[in-house]
Amino acid sequence: MKEFEKFVCPGCSLYCDDIKLIFSDKNELLETYGLCLKGYKKVSELFSQNRIKKPLIRKNGELQEVSYEEAFDRVNELLKSSKKPFLYGFVNTTCEAQIKGIELARKINGYIESNASYCHGQTYLNAIETGFYFTTLTECVNKGDTFIFWGSNAADSHPKFLTKTIFSRGKFRITGREIKTLILVDPRKTATYGAAGVRDLYIPLQPGKDLELIRFIKDFMNGDKSQIPSDGFVGIDKEDLNRLIMNLQDAENGVVLFGQGVINSDPQGAVIRALIELVDLVNKQLKRGRFSIIPMTGHNMNGFVQVALSLVGKTQQIEFSNDNLVDNNENFVSKVKKGDFDLSIIVASDPISNLPVTLSSELSKKPLISVDCFHTPTTRIADVVLPAAISGLEAGGLVYRMENVPMNLQKILEPSEKLLSDEQILQKIISNVEG
Amino acid sequence: MSQLNFMDVYKFLPKTNCKECGLPTCMAFALALVKGEKHPKDCPPLLKPKYSQDLEKLNDLFGAEGEAEKKLHIDVDEEKCDGCGVCVIVCPVNARYCPNSLSGKQPKHPPDDHQLFQVKNGKSELLNLEHCRRLVAEGRERECRVCEIYCPRDAIKIGYYTAES
Repeated sequence: MKEFEKFVCPGCSLYCDDIKLIFSDKNELLETYGLCLKGYKKVSELFSQNRIKKPLIRKNGELQEVSYEEAFDRVNELLKSSKKPFLYGFVNTTCEAQIKGIELARKINGYIESNASYCHGQTYLNAIETGFYFTTLTECVNKGDTFIFWGSNAADSHPKFLTKTIFSRGKFRITGREIKTLILVDPRKTATYGAAGVRDLYIPLQPGKDLELIRFIKDFMNGDKSQIPSDGFVGIDKEDLNRLIMNLQDAENGVVLFGQGVINSDPQGAVIRALIELVDLVNKQLKRGRFSIIPMTGHNMNGFVQVALSLVGKTQQIEFSNDNLVDNNENFVSKVKKGDFDLSIIVASDPISNLPVTLSSELSKKPLISVDCFHTPTTRIADVVLPAAISGLEAGGLVYRMENVPMNLQKILEPSEKLLSDEQILQKIISNVEG
Repeated sequence: MSQLNFMDVYKFLPKTNCKECGLPTCMAFALALVKGEKHPKDCPPLLKPKYSQDLEKLNDLFGAEGEAEKKLHIDVDEEKCDGCGVCVIVCPVNARYCPNSLSGKQPKHPPDDHQLFQVKNGKSELLNLEHCRRLVAEGRERECRVCEIYCPRDAIKIGYYTAES
């Protein structure tokens, strides 16, 4: 029997580090302690029937099992004949693989982007211009007293997030949940609403009204508006709005957590900008304490942002030509829409099932190389499939938690069927390209 | 059971202070009944035909002789539970015995004898009920239902019922 204490779960961007796993001598998963259902499913995927065990190449229209050497040769051929390759994905993997991805993009004069381009990429693009009030989860546990979930359903996206922040008893507080106020700004009463108590606040905001509400709060706090209309504002009760503003003004250590609700309702990022400005304004007016922001990212999205910033100074839309960075304003979606590529390398992502049909059919027209651990719709249409070890279980490495705290994933098992990690696969492609 | 006022029970007793039950007064017996230390059948005069109506009323309140007693149950719905661990963190009994971690309080493995909940294989699991505040605490603490209130998925239900039902 093998026991792993303090295992870091690779299930979501929370990277819980208080997990215990028990494996049998034959490497069968026996028991897990502390893992939520999402993490448990991730760990039990180790033994999934859906794992890809051998590299696959499309021959005569069908995927056939081959050796790694043959698959790498085919990848090399495809890369040599390609003029405009692009690399995409890099979220459900380690920073080491992301570094190799950018290195490969530089070598093959390609375009590289992570899933962040239609997720929290907007947040970081805005943050580069305006700056950001950051905090850490430990600070939330120990000092936090106001948690505003704006368009984010933490109970579903990061199941242990509520447990780790609002419900925990911090070092500087005698009580835990009792002193922490949960404010949910969402059109629906999501699972996060289920954790709300009597003191908590639910703001039923209509979809698309975020900007109006934020501007109203800013005006009110600036003194441009002296009172709240008696019939409320954008469908929100006067009393609720009053309590929301009071909570913003009285917090000792507040945090705004925003997720897909904010990003999807406004792809241009105006709501995110307004939220950052609101937090700025609150911080200027607060006499003691401060407000900060945590974007509810997915997996290692922050890792790619960190890696890309340190290597090329940009978070997304990274294109190389002759070993140099090229300015461009096209993102992954517009590039795919135009068909402005002739080969795609998808690493640790499944765009075919995530994207709308118009885009995914455009992707499927060109040669596609997929690096993945499981059979997905993307691997089914791919020309070359390179199976990888699961990051966080069969391959270790660095990842960034949702609030940009680096964590170390552990390699706890030897990969089955001698599979290579994402990092090793990309390194092998790079050395093949170099010849 | 705790909501029952002992004065409501007292009016159905013989009020003779005969001491046959082993307690000094009928008032004391009523208190013992409410606390669950005695059962109506422990009062010998009540068994006489003269008090049969009173005995019936008391049996309605405390359950008839031979009938299984209603016990506290905390049910975790496995379908709804997603192992978020809120019950583990909010339970005041857990909080006393679990060590500190980033998650506030993290249960040990193997768990402490007093621990009520733990998250095993992605689902919350009830370990031992006998240390629950609803059974051992005094006063208002006995009304504790934090695990039921704060469960984001309404997976936890506290109820009193007999084993058969």
